[in-house]
Amino acid sequence: MIRITLLLTFTFFSGAICNAQKYYTRSGVTEFKASKKTFEPIEAINKSTTAILNINTSEVVAQVFIASFEFENALMQEHFNENYMESSTYPKAVFKGKIVNFSKDALNKISSFDLVGTLTIRGKEKVVKTKVTVKEHNKKLLITTGFVVKPEDFNIEIPSIVKEKIANTIQINIKYELVKKK
Amino acid sequence: MSLLKKNKFIVISLFITMLGVGVWSTYHYVFGTPTKASEIAPYFTGEAKEFKYLFTEDIKYWNNKVVQIKGNVDEINEYGILLNENIFCQFEKNIDVPENSINQDLVIKGKVVGFDELLMEIKLNQCIIIK
Repeated sequence: MIRITLLLTFTFFSGAICNAQKYYTRSGVTEFKASKKTFEPIEAINKSTTAILNINTSEVVAQVFIASFEFENALMQEHFNENYMESSTYPKAVFKGKIVNFSKDALNKISSFDLVGTLTIRGKEKVVKTKVTVKEHNKKLLITTGFVVKPEDFNIEIPSIVKEKIANTIQINIKYELVKKK
Repeated sequence: MSLLKKNKFIVISLFITMLGVGVWSTYHYVFGTPTKASEIAPYFTGEAKEFKYLFTEDIKYWNNKVVQIKGNVDEINEYGILLNENIFCQFEKNIDVPENSINQDLVIKGKVVGFDELLMEIKLNQCIIIK
């Protein structure tokens, strides 16, 4: 009896693990824009974002290394890492959330979903609610989304001398191409 | 008198040169583009398995350090290669990803991004093939 129970339990869990289909990327694109029209552009791109989507549970997690945001200007990149983001102390930003009512089978009919989750930057958490587009193309899931955050959400202090040059809100854009995890 | 004139010429020339160097340095510092990994001397040169051992000793130390490692290619995708099971090397340009290099030993130079806890991998970017 015990053997049968163990066998059933094992079958159930191994089945659950096998069915836990995940899609992922190591090279997702995350960019942010904090420019004001009249000043030089303050924007950067990160092409090394890791993201995983569990299509059974619709849970999504993404991790970005702050220091791998690339700016056009070296001095701006240095200030971003050392003065504002303190990337040596807080090297990562993490998003954990869920694509509401996501169904991979329905992607040919619906492509826009609600994305809800928590963004953690510099150890501070912020709830993010936005729209996400998911499309299937060549066996890949293409995910695009965007949302706005404020520096004060994450205790980022902008010195008054540069405050005029930096936008009050920061636009974050995301573009991930997820492939099925073997 | 002629010696004074000669010295004056040298002093003025020196001043102009120093001014030029100063302006150029300031301009480069303020408006310069970030230095790529390919232009930076590596902090570590050696075998991938040795690097993995050193990396796990002090993960934070290696963040943003440029390294040059020799390892075996386990996996290839359109953005990079996986060396020695868990070192992912992302290339600067997708076209540089060495196709048909599975099971080959390669020497790669790149910048350490950090330890990817989601995939349990060491991540490098701006990679180039040395050999």
